[in-house]
Formats: sequence, structure tokens, C-alpha cells
Amino acid sequence: MNRREFLATSSIVTLGIGLGLGSGLPARAAESEAVIVLSSSEAGAPNQDPIRATLLSLVSNLIYDRLVEQDDDQSYHPHLAESWETTTDGMNWTFKLRQGVTFHDGEPFNATTVVWWIGKYKGSANEYMTAAIDHVEIVDDYTVRFVMKRPEPNLIFNLAQQFMGIPSPTSYEAAGDSYGVTEAIGTGPYKLESFVVGQETVLVANEDYAWGSDLSENRGAPHIKRLTLREIPDSSTAFLELKTGGVGMLSSVPNEFLPQLQKEKQVGFRNLPGIGVTYLNFNSQSGPFTDVIMRQATALAIDQSAVLKSVYTGAGQEAHQFLISSLAESKVDPQFEIRHDLDKAKKLLDQAGWTGGSDGVRTKDKKRLSIKLWTRSETEFKRTAEIVQAQLKALGMETEIVTFDNTTLRDQLRKGEHELVVSHYDWNNADILDWFYSAKNIPFPNSAMWNDVKSEELHDIAMLQSKNWDERVANFKKYQEYLLSQFAFTPLHEPAQNTAYNKDLLEVPERIRGPQLGQPTILDMKTMQ
Amino acid sequence: MFLFILKRLILLVPVFFVVSVVVFLIIHLVPGNPIDNLMRAGSSSAQRVQIAAKYGLDRSLAEQYFVWMSRLVTGDLGTSIIQGRPVGALIAQNLPYSLQLGGAALLFSALTGITAGVVAASFHGTRLDDGISGLILLGSTVPSFWLGLLLILIFAVWLGWVPISGARGWTSLILPVIAAGVGGIALVARVTRIAMIETARQDFVMLLHAKGLSPLVIQLRHVLRHALVPVVTILALRIGWILGGTVTIEYVFARPGLGSLLIRALNQRDYPLVQACLLMLAMAVILGTLIGDIVQAAMDPRQRQARS
Repeated sequence: MNRREFLATSSIVTLGIGLGLGSGLPARAAESEAVIVLSSSEAGAPNQDPIRATLLSLVSNLIYDRLVEQDDDQSYHPHLAESWETTTDGMNWTFKLRQGVTFHDGEPFNATTVVWWIGKYKGSANEYMTAAIDHVEIVDDYTVRFVMKRPEPNLIFNLAQQFMGIPSPTSYEAAGDSYGVTEAIGTGPYKLESFVVGQETVLVANEDYAWGSDLSENRGAPHIKRLTLREIPDSSTAFLELKTGGVGMLSSVPNEFLPQLQKEKQVGFRNLPGIGVTYLNFNSQSGPFTDVIMRQATALAIDQSAVLKSVYTGAGQEAHQFLISSLAESKVDPQFEIRHDLDKAKKLLDQAGWTGGSDGVRTKDKKRLSIKLWTRSETEFKRTAEIVQAQLKALGMETEIVTFDNTTLRDQLRKGEHELVVSHYDWNNADILDWFYSAKNIPFPNSAMWNDVKSEELHDIAMLQSKNWDERVANFKKYQEYLLSQFAFTPLHEPAQNTAYNKDLLEVPERIRGPQLGQPTILDMKTMQ
Repeated sequence: MFLFILKRLILLVPVFFVVSVVVFLIIHLVPGNPIDNLMRAGSSSAQRVQIAAKYGLDRSLAEQYFVWMSRLVTGDLGTSIIQGRPVGALIAQNLPYSLQLGGAALLFSALTGITAGVVAASFHGTRLDDGISGLILLGSTVPSFWLGLLLILIFAVWLGWVPISGARGWTSLILPVIAAGVGGIALVARVTRIAMIETARQDFVMLLHAKGLSPLVIQLRHVLRHALVPVVTILALRIGWILGGTVTIEYVFARPGLGSLLIRALNQRDYPLVQACLLMLAMAVILGTLIGDIVQAAMDPRQRQARS
């Protein structure tokens, strides 16, 4: 090969690499379809296998059905289970299954499916969801009985989670490890056509669907026949796509983009109650916040309305206790709710011996009242920290804000050197109190290092001794009321979930049912003709 | 020539091991760990121990490195802790997108850069030269993230010629390629311009003029050919960049690729995936340099002889 040939060949190879690969990619489909952008918290879901996955998206919500569905008011509705009852001791659950349900591969859904399905969770990443079930008995073809190891009223919540979607046994066993990646077979309103991790998923309507839950008007096949679910990491790009009609819907809109989107005529909004709470986390084992007076003074100095107004431009609501407000357990006795009272906060510090210094910072025994305030790097948390800083300054407390990315923050919390931390969780169940405040979870996730005899006692009653749902609610209320009385945390804000859609492309029902945008809403959605 | 390539390839082995140690330590020594990303409210601490044991995270760093390396030499990149899929499969899925975007961007910056360099050099000292140099300087200082959004606004939103984002069809490739390639144009054009000007001062060019060849033929067939040697070196050095250097572009245009794969894995501290991606990018840079040397040798017989 001479020089010229060498150069010519290498140029052709480069050209080939550069352009040739492009031809193999799928072109845009010509038929009418709806495109939805997934929320960034769901982005990167690596597979659609509810049993093994630790992260699932709207996609699996549409491919699979669950035995029960949860609504936005956290009530439970029948789906593949037509009805259920529990014995008074909470040790037996009997489910009547819906008849005539088939999987996308044509296999029938019946009692044997449920026995196989519950068995599959053993040893999986989601085992804890079914851990309280001892075994499942078949009563008849369409009735199953769950025999429990211990009473677990929360089973009903677990059964309504995405992680309890029911896959087809035949396809699941046949596909082995590749299940959820190359194929995903459920009984849901949409069938999986193609799935590229981190990019897009194409779903087509299941025309045989006739078993929608009572959360949707439409119980049959979906109106939108072809649904593309895309992942767009940059919010500005997603916003432009929505504006120009490149996509029909953004399943979640960051708060900072709301004012911009609201200016667009063709953009419509739907708000859902939040499923998370932002709060101030105290280190109760070292530093100034070991003292309940300090925690109380700090908590009372915070004005939640400022966070609502300045950080979230009025979207969402103020939080005065730890749980999302749609949970029955959040309705604690109002006297325990944490509300702004700066005068009382100042008095508490005065009594504790922290008196005003010359520069507005309180001192005690020549020590300045100065603390470190940690926060996550996302804009909303940084701004929340700034508001908190300003409000604590009014109390005479000096704060230094330290910012970490989320992963680093978690690691730092384990070291126990933190004092006050702007924190956030997303979870629609009262057992989040167990996660963050039970002694067994020290140092993480219980980074408050909360260890208190009375608290542990109330925790055990709520978690392990509740026989039915009402008892569980009452027990969790008592548990939370105790934590509130000890100022174990300072609740700040309950952000709303915002969904935006293009009015020229889609018709979206007035109320979004379910805890998040999901199956019931999408079944009722239509494309504009 | 063959001996030269062989020598260089053997030298790669120790470099590979040093790079692998550095890559391994970097990700293991930063704070954070992958297991936290797998835990949800309700998971037990027994599960944490179980996952740590499954991926060998409970062993010493030296042991973990040894296990990783012994699998690596057999071609097994391991399994992603967060995604639960073979790392090899994940890379194979994203690699074509990166090669496509990076390759096209490199080609774009090479062609435009060389053309701009030749024009600037031919009109050396004139206003045209100043104009081109000024534009190039401007282009190289504009952040690609911002340029990407600007291009989207003009060509996709206002004019509606191309799709805003995604990786569907060749039209969705146009804007990302321009946004990613602009930075490279500046480099290539400046190197071409300087090399052209320097070559034009050499004696053989004067001889060519004396022979009566037309200035255009001299510039393109003789001066440019000589001037291309450093340009090729620069381009070869950017081969590694092809694979990983387009992260922000991938982000703005919602395109898949190695860059976004790596960033996501880094945020989740997905050790096996980060290690494999970083190692691959490092090797791409090293191989790019090697290719640059080989191409240079192929183009310039003097170097070939000096080296072999």
C-alpha cells in the first residue's frame, strides 16, 4: 500500500464510521402517536422486570397490572384482585381474582400465577415487600389466600407498588436473565415494542385490554395507540420540545421552569399532591442539637411560608409534620405541629443562656452560636438553605452553608460530623419514620442518630404490632407525635408534582388519579384530532 | 514499519496496567458507594451486606483490584451493580452513538478546520486572514452547552428544519455534530494555518514557483501535504475525545452515548461500569496517539526510517 492508497482507505473508513452507522437507526414513525418525557427521577431505569428491579419508570406501570391500585388520596382500589378480606388477627388475606384476564403472550391470569409470582420475590432485590407472607394457598382457580408469618397491614400498600406488577410466568421463565430488557410481558394496557435504556421506550396499545381499574373512566383498550416514552436529561431541551410539539407531555416539570412554561398559551398543567417532604435534619448525638431546647428554638425560628413563596413560587404546600399530607397518619394532633414562633424561639435561647452578641450573633460562655448547614447541590435545596440561613440569622444563629452532591452527602452523613442538614425524601407511606428514626438504622439512613427509648417503644408498636390498617394509622400517629414533641426534625415543605402537556396535541383528564402520573390517567388520555 | 508498530504495541501493556490501577483507585477513593443507590425505604441492613458480598465490596481494595483485573484479561468487564446488566453489553449499546457523533464531529472539524486554515494561510496578513482567525477564536471560546441550546433555538424552534433532540435518523445528528465540532475547528485551523505559512517559506516552495507551477497547485498539492503532518497528529490525539468528549452535547440533545453512560454511572458510584468506561477512554487516547504516529510515519518516510 502506498501513501496515497493508505490515506484514501483510512478516509473511507473514517467516513464509514462517522456516517454509516446512522443508517441503521430507527426513523421516526409516521403514524399518530403521543410522546411523553419521563421524570428525571425515573430516568435510567435499566429494565422492566418488577421483581428484580430497584428502579422502575412509568413504562412498567403501563405494561403490568397490580392486584390493587392506590389513589392520590392513598385509598386502595381493586384491580386484578376484585376484592379482598383479612381475618381479625391479620394472619390471613384472601383475594378474589378477576376472571378473563390474559397476558400479552396469551397466557391466562389465575390463582396459579399468583402463587408462582409471590414465590419469585424470595431472594430478589424486592424480597422485603413479601417478607411477611409465609405462603400462598390456592382456594379455587380465582381465589388465593396469603398465610402470613406475622400481621402486616402494610401488605396492601406493597401490593399497590410498581414493584408488584405481575409478569407472565411462561415468558418470565423462558427469557431468564434477559427478561425485562429484551421483552416484558404483563397484562397491562400497553405492550412493549422496543426499549433502549436511557433513551426511549415504544409501547403499543393492548387491544384486548378490558380490565382497567375504577380509577379510570376508560376500562378498555387505551385511546392512544402508540406511546413513546423518552428520557431528556436537560430541562431546557424538554421545555423546547413541549413548546414546539415534539413531545406531548412532560410527566414532571422542575419548579424553576414553571413560570416560563406558564407563559406559553398552548401548555396546560395538571398538579398532583406531592409524594415527598423537605425537612431540616438535626444531628441528635453530637454538636449543639443534642439539646432539645436548641432543636426547638431552631424549629420555631423557621417560617415555612417563606420557603413556599421564595423557593417554590407558591407550588406545593407548607409542611408542619413529617409525612405527606395525603396520608391518614399525617393528621396528628395540631398541638404537636411545628409552626413558626420567632418570639418563643428567642425566649428559649435567652433562657438557655445564649445571649445577644454585638454583631447579632448570640454567645454563651464566650462561644459564638455558629453552626454548619449542609445541603444538596440541586437548586431548590441550595435556595432552601439560603432561606433557612436568613431565618436563623434573625434568631441570632450564624450558619455556614456547605454544599455536597447527593452521593457525597450520604457518605458524609455516615461520619456523623454534620449538625443541621437540608434533607428530602419521596415516599408515600408512614413507615418512612422507621427508615429515618429507628435506632437500628443508625448511622444511615437514620442520620439524625435518633436513639430514644420511648421512640423505639412506639416504633415497635407501630411497625410490628398493628393488626389492621386503622390500628396502624393510630399507632403511627402516636409515634410521630412523640417525634414532633422532641423536635427530632423541622418539616419545611411538601413540593407538588407538576405535569405539563401540549394542548394542541393531547387531551388530559382534569384530575390525575393515583399517587403519580400512571396507568389510570394515560388510559383516559386522548390525542387531539 | 512492522517492527515499529510491534514495539509500540508491546509498550502499551505496562501503560495499560498503570492506567487500570489509577482508574480503579480514583473511583474507589472518592466518597460514596453504589449500595446506597440500591436501597429504598424498607430495605434491610441484611440486604446491604448481601449486596456488598455479591459484588465483592466487602473485600480489601487490593483483592477487589485483583479480581477485577483477572476477569478483565479474560475479556469479562463485570456486571453493573446498579443496572444489573453486563458492562460489555451496556458499552456495546452506547458505543455506536458515541462513534457516530464523535466521528462525524471530528470529520466536520477536520474538513472545516483545514479549509479555513488553508484560506487563512493563502491570504496571510490580509483582512480575510484576520477575519477567519477572529471567528475561529470566537468559536473556540463559546461553551458547547450554550452553543447547543442556541442552535436548537434557531434551527429547530424558529426554522423547524431539524428535530430538537433525540437520536432518530440522520437529521437529528446535524446540530449535535456542529455543536461538538466547533471547538475542534479552531485547533485544526490554527495548526493548519501556521504549518502552511511555515512550509511556504521553505526552499522547495520557491523552487516550485521558479518551475512555473500555478500558486493554487503549489498550495494544495505541495504545501498542504507537508503541512498536514502536524494536523494529522492533532486529529489522532482527538480520537480519545471522540468517545468521551461529547458529554455536554449528549446531555443537551438527549442523545445516548458513552459520555452520558459514564456520568450516570459516576453519580451512582457504579464501580464496574465507571472503571470500564474510564479504562476504555484512556485506552482510546493511547491508541489514538499510536494511530497518529503510524499515520505520520506512513505519510513521512523520513520519520519511518528514523524510528525503525
